[in-house]
Amino acid sequence: MDKRLILSVAGSGKTSYIVNYTDEERRFLILTYTTNNVTNLRRKVARKYGCIPNNIEIYSYFSFVYSFCFKPFLLNTVGANGINFKDTAHFQLKGDARYFDRFKRVYSYRLAKLLEVKRVMDAVKARVEKYFDAVLIDEVQDFAGNDFTLLERIAECNVDLILVGDFFQHTYDTSRDGNLNKNLHANLAGYKQRFEAVGVTIDQETLGNSYRCSRTVCTFIRHHLGVAIDTHRQDETRIEYVTDDGAIRYLLGNKGVIKLFYENGKTYPLNSKNWGDSKGEDHHDDVCVVLNKNTDKLYREGRLPELPSRTKNKLYVAMSRARNDLYLVSEAAIKRLITG
Amino acid sequence: MKNIKRVKLKNFKKFTEIQIPLSNKLNILVGENESGKSSVLSAISLVLAGSRGQVEKIGYERLLNHEVVEAFQQSDRRFEDLPVAYVELWFNDFREYEVDGRNNSEGVDAYGLRMEICPNDEFGPTIRQILQGAERNFPFEFYQVRFITFAGHAYSGYKKYVRHIMIDTSRIGNDYAVREYVGDMYDSFAEPLEKIIHQNEYRKLKEGFNLGPLKDLNDRAEKYSFALKSDSKSNIKTDLTLIEDSIGIENKGSGRQCFIKTEFALQRAKGVQQRIDLALIEEPENHLSHVNMKRLIGLIADADDKQLIIATHSNMISSRLDLRNTIYMHSADKNPITLADLPEDTAEFFVKAPYHAILDYVLSKKVILVEGDSEYILMAKFYEMVKARTMEEDHVHVYSVGGTSFKRYLDIAKLLDIRTAVIRDNDKDFQRNCVDLYEDYNIDHVRVFSDPDDVRNTFEKCIYQDNDDFCNLLFAGSRRKLTVQEYMLKNKAEAALKILEQMQDEFVVPQYIREAVEWISA
Repeated sequence: MDKRLILSVAGSGKTSYIVNYTDEERRFLILTYTTNNVTNLRRKVARKYGCIPNNIEIYSYFSFVYSFCFKPFLLNTVGANGINFKDTAHFQLKGDARYFDRFKRVYSYRLAKLLEVKRVMDAVKARVEKYFDAVLIDEVQDFAGNDFTLLERIAECNVDLILVGDFFQHTYDTSRDGNLNKNLHANLAGYKQRFEAVGVTIDQETLGNSYRCSRTVCTFIRHHLGVAIDTHRQDETRIEYVTDDGAIRYLLGNKGVIKLFYENGKTYPLNSKNWGDSKGEDHHDDVCVVLNKNTDKLYREGRLPELPSRTKNKLYVAMSRARNDLYLVSEAAIKRLITG
Repeated sequence: MKNIKRVKLKNFKKFTEIQIPLSNKLNILVGENESGKSSVLSAISLVLAGSRGQVEKIGYERLLNHEVVEAFQQSDRRFEDLPVAYVELWFNDFREYEVDGRNNSEGVDAYGLRMEICPNDEFGPTIRQILQGAERNFPFEFYQVRFITFAGHAYSGYKKYVRHIMIDTSRIGNDYAVREYVGDMYDSFAEPLEKIIHQNEYRKLKEGFNLGPLKDLNDRAEKYSFALKSDSKSNIKTDLTLIEDSIGIENKGSGRQCFIKTEFALQRAKGVQQRIDLALIEEPENHLSHVNMKRLIGLIADADDKQLIIATHSNMISSRLDLRNTIYMHSADKNPITLADLPEDTAEFFVKAPYHAILDYVLSKKVILVEGDSEYILMAKFYEMVKARTMEEDHVHVYSVGGTSFKRYLDIAKLLDIRTAVIRDNDKDFQRNCVDLYEDYNIDHVRVFSDPDDVRNTFEKCIYQDNDDFCNLLFAGSRRKLTVQEYMLKNKAEAALKILEQMQDEFVVPQYIREAVEWISA
C-alpha cells in the first residue's frame, strides 16, 4: 500500500500531482474541502482525460461524508434533513440532540462522529475498500476535529492513500469539537507523528519546491515568516515596501494587481480580497499584500514570526500567490488615501 | 448481467405485502384475471423509470391499497398511521455504490431501488386538518412519490441503473399506442447523447426546409410565413415510426404489430451500448395466430442475454418455455409460488407433450383428471347426478390428460396444493396400477380412484356392467357383429355422447367415480 502524507509548499503543484497520480484503470476517490477546489480538480481531471472518467469520483469533503458514508447506512434508521454548517449543539445536550438541530439537520462538525456513535464506521471502511483502490485528499492540512478522526479511520483502509497539504497553509479547520484534536496543528513535528501513528509515511521532497514563487519571494518568506519554502526557479523578482502615495494609488487603480487584505478585503475597490481567501489561486502575477497595523509594525521590526500561527499562515498564503513581483503596503496608508 | 433478484411490494395496488423471487433469465407470471400480474409488471416499470409524472398520471388513489386505506379510515386516523406504499427492486451484485446501502425495508446491505408513496410532510398541518375533519376525507392529494436508491440517493429517469423496456400488447392498434411504443423503443435503444444529437439535427433539417423549399411561398405570403412545427408535439420522437419491409408499423395488422413489438424488444444487443437488461412483456399471446405464437416462443427462448418477465394466460407459452420458470400469483397477501422445484423430466414432458391445458390446471383449486374423451364427456353429468349441483358451482374442473401421464400433473399438484382426483382404469391390476404406482403421491390433497375389481378394467366395462339394460337398448341398432360392450370399447367417444344424450335418472354412476366426486367436492 502506498500511504503517504506529501507536505507541500505554495505553488508546488499539489493539484497537478493528484491529477497525475490517477489513471484510467484503478478506481480513485478524490476529496477536497472547498467547492472551489472541487471545480478546480474537475477541470484538471477533465483536461487530462477529455472528460471525467467513470473510475474517478471527485467529492467535496462533506458531501462525501453525508452521501457516501452516512446515507447508505443511516438514512432510513437515523435519518437527516441535510447538514447544518452554522450552529453547534449546546454542550449539555444528551443523545441525538448532540448531533441534530431541531430540523433534524446534522451538525457538520459532528457528522463524522455520528458514524462512530451509530457504529457504522466499519461498514464505511468496507464501502471505501469495495469501491475504490486509491483515496487522494487535497488540502489535508485543513482536516481537524472529528474529521481528522475520520481521516485516521480511512487511513486504516486497505487502499492507497495520498494526502497532500501544506502545513503552513492551515488557515481554517473543516470543523472543531471541543478539545478534540485541539493541538493537532501546534507544531509540525507533532503533526507528522499523528500520521506516522496510523501507518502514513511523510514525504517532504516531492512537493518541497515551488514552481510559482521566485527565488526572491521564497527567500523573503523563509526569512520573514520562517516557513521552509524553496523553488524550482532561478530568476529574481522585485519585492518592495511601497510608501509613495503615487505608487500606492497606481497599485490600487490597477486591476491586474490583486490587493490582499487581513480582513474586509471585499470592501475595497478593484480586485481585492482577504489573505486567506486567496488560497488555492494560481493566476496572480503581481501581488500587493496589505499589512494591517499590527503586522505592519512587526514587519518593520523584523518580528513577523511572532504572529499567531493562524495569522502567520494566512500571510504566507497571501505572499506566496505572487508569480512575479510582490508589493507590501500598510493598510493605514491606503485608508488615509481613500478617506483623505 | 444486471438483473432483479426479487421484488417487494407493500400496500401497492391490490397487494398488502408480497415478495416475488425472480430468476435471472426467464420469468413467467401466471394467475387468474385480477391476480395482479400486470400490477407487478407496471410496478417494476415505474420504479425503473423513476418518473414522478408517470406515477401521478395513474394517481395515488389507484396506487395505494384500498384495504389499508379503508383500515386507516376505520381507525382514529392519526397522522403517523397514514399508510405508506412501496415497491422495492432488489438487484444482483452489480457493484455500483449509488445503489448499494441499507435504505431498504430489511435494513441490510444490498443493491436496489425503492419507490415510496407517502404523505408529504411539508403539508403536515393541512393533512392534520383534513384528518380531524368530520367528512372523513382521505388526503390522497397530499401524497408524494419518492424514488430513492438503497444508498439513499434520490434518482430520476435520467439515470438508467437497469435499461428496461415494457411491452403491453393489449394496448395496440390505435395511433397513440403505436406512437408511444415507438417512442419507448427509441428511448431504450438510443443513447442519451445520441438522442440529443438527433433532436438537434432534426430541428436543423426543419429549419432548412423552411428556408429552402418554403422560401418562394413565403416570399409571396409577405406578412406571414409558413414553417414546419418544431415543438413538444412535433419533434423527432412524435414523427418516428418503425419500418419493416418499407411499411410502417402503424399500417400493419394488430397481430403483426404485436409480433414486431416483441421481436424488436428481444433482439440481441449488438454491443454493450444498446444492451437492454430487462424486458417486461404483458400477454405476448394477444392477437397472435398459432403459427406466430410458436415463432414468438422461439424468440423468447433464444433471448437469453437479458432478464425477461412475462405475464401470460397462454398454456402454450407457460409450458413450452419450461414450467419451472412459472411464478404463480395466487393471492394478494401471500407470496407467489414458483414451479422451480418441479422435477426436470416433468418440465420436459410439458415442453414436448401435445396440446394440453396445463396453465388452466395450475390455476385451478379442485380438479378431476381423467384418461380420455369418453370420461371427459360424461364427467360433468355424473357430477351433477351425484351432487345435484354443477361442477362450475363447486369450482371443480375436469381435464383429460390423454393417456396415463397423471404423475406429471401430480408433480405440479404437490407444489401448488391443487386438490386433485385422478380417475383411471385399473388396466387389470388395481394394486400395481392404481395404488403402488402412486405411492410417492401419498398426500392429503391427491387421491387416485379406480375400480378395485381387476375384471372391470376399463371405464366402458364399468358403465356397461352397471347399466347393461340401458346400454343394450341404446346401442341395439348400431352394431352388427360386435357385442354391446365391444361396440362401446371400439367407439368410445361416440358411445359416450349417445349415453349423455339419452341418460335417465336411474342411470348408475360407477362406485369409484361416485367416490371421486364426493371426495373432490368435500
